[in-house]
Amino acid sequence: MPRYGMVIDLKRCYGCYGCVTACKGTNHTPPNVFWSRLLKGESGKYPNAIRQALPILCFHCEDPGCVKVCPTGATFADEDGVVVVDKDICVGCKYCLMGCPYGARYIVEDYESYFPDGLPETELEKHAKATFEERSGMGVATKCSFCAPRREEGKEPKCVSTCPANARIFGDLDDPTSEITILVRQSRGFVLKPEQGTEPKVYYLPPR
Amino acid sequence: MNTKMHGLVQTEWRWLIAIYLWLAGAGGGAFLTGIYASYAGWEGVAKIGSVLSWPLVGIGCALLLLDLGKMQNAWRVWMKPGTSWMARGTIIISLFMILGFIHSLLIVLGVFAPGDPAALALAIVTGIFAFATMVYTGLLLGDAIPFPFWNTVLLPILFFMSALSTGVMLVILGGSVAKMGGLMAVGEENLHFLASVDVAFILAEAGVLAAYLYGAYRLPISRHSAHWALMGDGAAMFWGGVAVCGLALPLIIDVIPGLPLAAAALAALLGLLGGLFLRMVVLSGGAHYPMYVNSWAFKPVSVPKLPKPDRGMVPPGNI
Repeated sequence: MPRYGMVIDLKRCYGCYGCVTACKGTNHTPPNVFWSRLLKGESGKYPNAIRQALPILCFHCEDPGCVKVCPTGATFADEDGVVVVDKDICVGCKYCLMGCPYGARYIVEDYESYFPDGLPETELEKHAKATFEERSGMGVATKCSFCAPRREEGKEPKCVSTCPANARIFGDLDDPTSEITILVRQSRGFVLKPEQGTEPKVYYLPPR
Repeated sequence: MNTKMHGLVQTEWRWLIAIYLWLAGAGGGAFLTGIYASYAGWEGVAKIGSVLSWPLVGIGCALLLLDLGKMQNAWRVWMKPGTSWMARGTIIISLFMILGFIHSLLIVLGVFAPGDPAALALAIVTGIFAFATMVYTGLLLGDAIPFPFWNTVLLPILFFMSALSTGVMLVILGGSVAKMGGLMAVGEENLHFLASVDVAFILAEAGVLAAYLYGAYRLPISRHSAHWALMGDGAAMFWGGVAVCGLALPLIIDVIPGLPLAAAALAALLGLLGGLFLRMVVLSGGAHYPMYVNSWAFKPVSVPKLPKPDRGMVPPGNI
């Protein structure tokens, strides 16, 4: 069984929001729900100021904070090491939103429209709403699943295949010859908030 | 409303949860006060403590159910007590409500003779669950490790002290209303005694609160939460609601001797409201700390609720 993980090379990422929009287009998340999002950080003062983009998604931790607090066992790591939510068991108590150090989880109680008031619902919007409800469910915790429907078809997650800078690499962390294992080992891979003890499976390569 | 976690501050648990935490604490505290009263021989106060306790916790639970995203799955929370404090707490409050109901029924019907060992046993068992209800509210928030404002050992202690003092206040308020409305025979001197005991509880709560906020302020990762409560947007609720309304005014009213029962009732009401504001300040102050890469802080930019854009205009995106 693979143990899926991801490497995001911060040297390559230039903050184009391509992953954010690709995720939205693939997973049909409603407004204000970002399974894949982008933070921007600044350091230094003019003329030596630097801006750096930091893409964030669910890190599919080895010891996830969300699984530790879930009162029903609705969220768990599946056999591929991907943390998933069973929408039929989740009660929507929002405790996992408090347990996740990275803010990767969302609860959608009603699917708001992207379009201004008064415009009729389009066919695409109906499709998006129906797909989101069928895959993720309403009123329950939703999150990135490393694009589970795409992985079933043998494809990479959409944020990986869409990245124009090839900053994202997806692969099996258990395979010692896979590209991401070698990158993490050789290019000083690190994780975010390691002090939380969650052991994320999404690694970053240093920005310089 | 869609819930979101872009910003550092949590916006998911709001007033419904605050009211629940407050009612659970005050209900448990009222039950313990009622137990004390029954062994001090104050029959009226004992009845009020027992009868007020479990229905309030029940109202809180109803609010908690309303907050759930998928209520039809709520039964599953009872099934796995090993998973988290939310599951364990649900079992604790359920048992407390059942035992509290039995206890108050037997007390009101007068089944128990004074000094009955069965009464003592039931009171002790229910009292343990009342204590657990009071403490668990703090453990529930404390188990959220990413929130340094909550994840501290002082929070259960703070919530317990607040629950104790609001529980006593609840009994004073209920007793005063019952006495002044002529509903029940309640010893006025007993209520005044409880008010003087509550002075000690308020002082202890203030001490724990000061230690809690000092600790939060000293810790860099939770400083913005403490700053929010003490000097930021939460200052009005903290200083006005918690410090003045919940602690200072009841303290002043309770230490002045010779005031009528109505004054004690007013002090109790103010203190109870202060307990609610305390829960709300703690809940609203819960916040993540930024992610650091090479000592650069990455603070998520919270997306404010944007007005619906004009027709034809492209909606502004994230950040």
